[in-house]
Amino acid sequence: MPTITIDGEDYEVDGEQNLLATCLSLGINLPYFCWHPAMGSVGACRQCAVIEYKDTEDQHGKLVMGCMTPVKDGGLYSVIADAAREFRGGIIEDLMTNHPHDCPVCEEGGECHLQDMTEMTGHVQRRYRGSKRTHRNQYLGPFINHEMNRCIACYRCTRFYRDYAGGSDLESLGRNNQIYFGRQKDGMLENGFSGNLVEVCPTGVFTDKTFSQHYVRKWDLQTAPSICEHCAVGCNTAPGAREPGNGGRAILRRVTNLYHRDINGYFLCDRGRFGYDYVNSDHRLENVLAARGDRLIESTARSGEKIHRILPPADAVGRFAQTLAAAQLGRRRLIGIASPRSSLENNFALRQLVGGANFFCGLARRDLELLHLVDRVQRDPRIHSPTTPEIESADAVLILGEDIDNTAPRIALAVRQAARNRQKQRARDLKIPLWQDASVRQLDGNPSPVLLIGTGTPALEEIASEILHCTADQTASFATAVVGFLRRDEPEQTELPESLRELARRAAERLSAAQRPLIVSGCGNRSVDIVNGAAAVACALAECEQGDREQCDLYLACPEVNSLGIAQLFPPGGGQLEQLAGQLRAGDGDTPTTLVILENDLYRRCDRRTVDTLLAGADEVILLDTLLNTTARHADLVFPAAATAESEGSYINSSGIAQRFYAVYEGAGFIQESWRWLANAAAACEEYPGNDVLAGCQHVHELSAALAGKFPALGVLAGLGPDEHYRIDGLKVARQSHRYSGRTAIRARDHVAELPPHRDPDAPMVFSMEGIQNAARTTLQANIWSPGWNSNQSIQKFLQGVGGRRKGAQGSRRIERAAQPLEDWHPQNTKAAATFSAATDLVLVPLHRMFGSDELSARAAAIASVIDEPYAVISAGDAEQRQIQHGDLLQIRIDSEHYAVEARISATLPRGTVGVPAGLPGLESLDCHLPGPAAVERIHGGESP
Amino acid sequence: MLSLLRSMWLVFRHLFTRTATVQYPDQKPYLAPRYRGRIVLTRDPDGEERCVACNLCAVACPPDCISLQKTEDEDGRWRPAFFRINFSRCIMCGLCEDACPTYAIQLTPDFEMCEYDRQSMVYEKEDLLISGPGKYHEYSFYNVAGKAIDGKGKGEAENEAGPVDVKSLNL
Repeated sequence: MPTITIDGEDYEVDGEQNLLATCLSLGINLPYFCWHPAMGSVGACRQCAVIEYKDTEDQHGKLVMGCMTPVKDGGLYSVIADAAREFRGGIIEDLMTNHPHDCPVCEEGGECHLQDMTEMTGHVQRRYRGSKRTHRNQYLGPFINHEMNRCIACYRCTRFYRDYAGGSDLESLGRNNQIYFGRQKDGMLENGFSGNLVEVCPTGVFTDKTFSQHYVRKWDLQTAPSICEHCAVGCNTAPGAREPGNGGRAILRRVTNLYHRDINGYFLCDRGRFGYDYVNSDHRLENVLAARGDRLIESTARSGEKIHRILPPADAVGRFAQTLAAAQLGRRRLIGIASPRSSLENNFALRQLVGGANFFCGLARRDLELLHLVDRVQRDPRIHSPTTPEIESADAVLILGEDIDNTAPRIALAVRQAARNRQKQRARDLKIPLWQDASVRQLDGNPSPVLLIGTGTPALEEIASEILHCTADQTASFATAVVGFLRRDEPEQTELPESLRELARRAAERLSAAQRPLIVSGCGNRSVDIVNGAAAVACALAECEQGDREQCDLYLACPEVNSLGIAQLFPPGGGQLEQLAGQLRAGDGDTPTTLVILENDLYRRCDRRTVDTLLAGADEVILLDTLLNTTARHADLVFPAAATAESEGSYINSSGIAQRFYAVYEGAGFIQESWRWLANAAAACEEYPGNDVLAGCQHVHELSAALAGKFPALGVLAGLGPDEHYRIDGLKVARQSHRYSGRTAIRARDHVAELPPHRDPDAPMVFSMEGIQNAARTTLQANIWSPGWNSNQSIQKFLQGVGGRRKGAQGSRRIERAAQPLEDWHPQNTKAAATFSAATDLVLVPLHRMFGSDELSARAAAIASVIDEPYAVISAGDAEQRQIQHGDLLQIRIDSEHYAVEARISATLPRGTVGVPAGLPGLESLDCHLPGPAAVERIHGGESP
Repeated sequence: MLSLLRSMWLVFRHLFTRTATVQYPDQKPYLAPRYRGRIVLTRDPDGEERCVACNLCAVACPPDCISLQKTEDEDGRWRPAFFRINFSRCIMCGLCEDACPTYAIQLTPDFEMCEYDRQSMVYEKEDLLISGPGKYHEYSFYNVAGKAIDGKGKGEAENEAGPVDVKSLNL
């Protein structure tokens, strides 16, 4: 370990980092702009100048840029030397000559890196008297606001957008002092990670437009660590909320990234960043609703839909308790339907209430089996579910039939970094440090092999070394062939064309030659064969003699935030919706049935007919949910449930990491966590056994502990995240910053006397500023702030070195499932298209969209504005054969359902398949049929109604 | 004995000094124009609200008695959707005025704001807004800011060059 001297102090450092990163890791404040911990150095801004001395005799030293200087053993440096400070002050003064007088009307104000650095260098008085350069702004879509005047030309935006995230439509245009960062034309930024520009930009050029619509300063946001609920990656987020001051409900104002080294690092995708707004939606349920007796006429509503009136919560809980009492006495059957988008604790509470035998998963057979398979695969000791840094260090990637750019976007971003590993290896050989970003990127040499097999991940195609567009069945056959080549015996499969066999042979060679191969697949295609195939490839690689590895990295993307969690609660083969529908249809006649549905829109899970039978077969339907959806319209009693940002609980992500999230604020109206409604009903019911954990449950941690006791795989939940008794110096952690303003005024319009802040009995946090504010002492603190560092760049103060883990106990742990080797997999070939009427039928396959496929984020206003109208993608060959043009109106017919969609032609989609965006608003109920055959035909003469 | 006499002499002597008591409210004391009393929100010389809802007054306020919400109007200006001062908490320290980057919030030499009902001490924007510019007659924030609003495009503020044409050579 090299030892260096900075300003007379000796430090032992690792020597891997540059001088700037080393200083920051040591806690020394050194201003910078263009360097970014995830993107390395380019030395563009000259802000991090320090003095380097030749030896102890050297009195003057020379000025070097910290970010471009490798740390050398015995090096002598000075950060506070006058020459360095003057130089840095001069740089800031120059940068500020053109910076507009905008801070009061800039969304970045108060969390601006440029403000911080200006303060840090001590530049307080403007001397420049000339005129300021100005720029015209561009419209960049509904997410990002552009204010180009504020730019200091640090190039971070294009380096992130183009180099790191692979976007192409944001460029640096113009020249010399008039460089412009924007698009060639106005228009929405195309890359799915554009939201990170808000955090990457050190000033206010790119700001969050959705946040601006209900803007407050950073110091006025109440925050807590949370988990993004819009996919199964489990990115950590710091949502910020504040009450509106006009008597309305509290508003979730924005979501920002919350650093977690092993999952999201510094970046979030746009779905996660802008999808939060659904909680503020007009469709939000805030009151208990009960169905009225009168029925709607058929012309205005589908059959079975009910109209609701608001019911006082006490009455509703009383009614629920009566149902519960009847169930306890055996006069009523109580059935619970769980949800993969609700926390483990909520699901467990429902399980306690209805009993394991009456507990169903809320997923169709196909989906639940797939989740069980993923769980089963991850239990294999040869398979390792990689963390994001592990994915980034893979040097050969095989993506099997999963569009990770849309189903697990953050993972796709990591794979994009993995593609550069050959380049990085070459840099290492040439002794170029990896943080020398521009130098490393200039190196030629082949990119690392990334093989893309399946219906396509369009955004990743540019980094792929080999692309094969094929159907799910072909993907699985391809995997089998790769396994064959890896095992060195000739694949028995003969139906694969020679070209594909050759590709499989190359894939096998590349993967087995790699130091750290990575297989990526998932549930996106709903194909058991693909998951099995991916697992078989990973197992074969782990056993492969060439490497000395015992495990192979396999990332399997799950569909929803708690998909893997809910799979733990059901034994394989049980809990499917179809079983429940069958039971209800068979029904024993006399016993009335009540369905308790937890945060689940069944119409997205199963075909309409099954769900209609299900709901009609029950005498009473009780729903707990956040948004008014189709299932809610059919329910007799609807309880308003808390969204993720309003509740505490735990989720399990795709790689089996359990994470706890905490309530950022309290839901408005009568919103409360689902388990609380269930516990209220249990407590109000005299017949319900008092010794049950639910009846007396006060805190969510009691449920976590009970859950850990009941399911051995979930044992880690008992110790996950600090519970409500956790204190630092006798205090809880504050959700509000020490600068939180307006305490004595915000509610004064309605009542001038102030009430004490609401107590939070559940979390080791308070809904006020009166608590621990030190983010370095606990990961519970989501307000990332440090003296002199108001911007999100202050995160480095809370890490164990740049790019390290958060200081304090980690709130996430991998669940401990019993190891169980997979059996050898032999694909059962030819589940031939038996019910194919070749003339009209095509196979519908799911296409995943970053905006639209996810149920909740699609209800956020900004995201809803960019979701496409229903469409279907048809292969060019089929289109020609059927004389379908781009933009034609098509009709998809499945069973008795019809969907009108716009045709789009694709050159890459395999023939015989039609891509349908999964879960897109308007096509939600089609989702459960994917993949599957359907009749697709052109609607002629669309003019007549 | 001596001390008694001395005290009486002292009291007697004060009969002939000038009285310090002012007969308020019949007689009003002089208050300097910059006396820190009731807070107002002023308008710029064009009659537009000066407040841009930057929240700096609110965060500077020691008793946290200022609360507001930013909104952006069609014309591109930031304005407070509501602006509330709870005068029953205000300590007239003037830090809000110091913090205000647009001279919008100003303290006035009026301190007579007694109420029987404490709720009446809560002033909303309508109660705070006056029709003039207060102590600073000429200042208009948007004339010096880079943000474009209706009637003032890019490059039209003071000390601004015209907007760059990215497609030119810019030599």
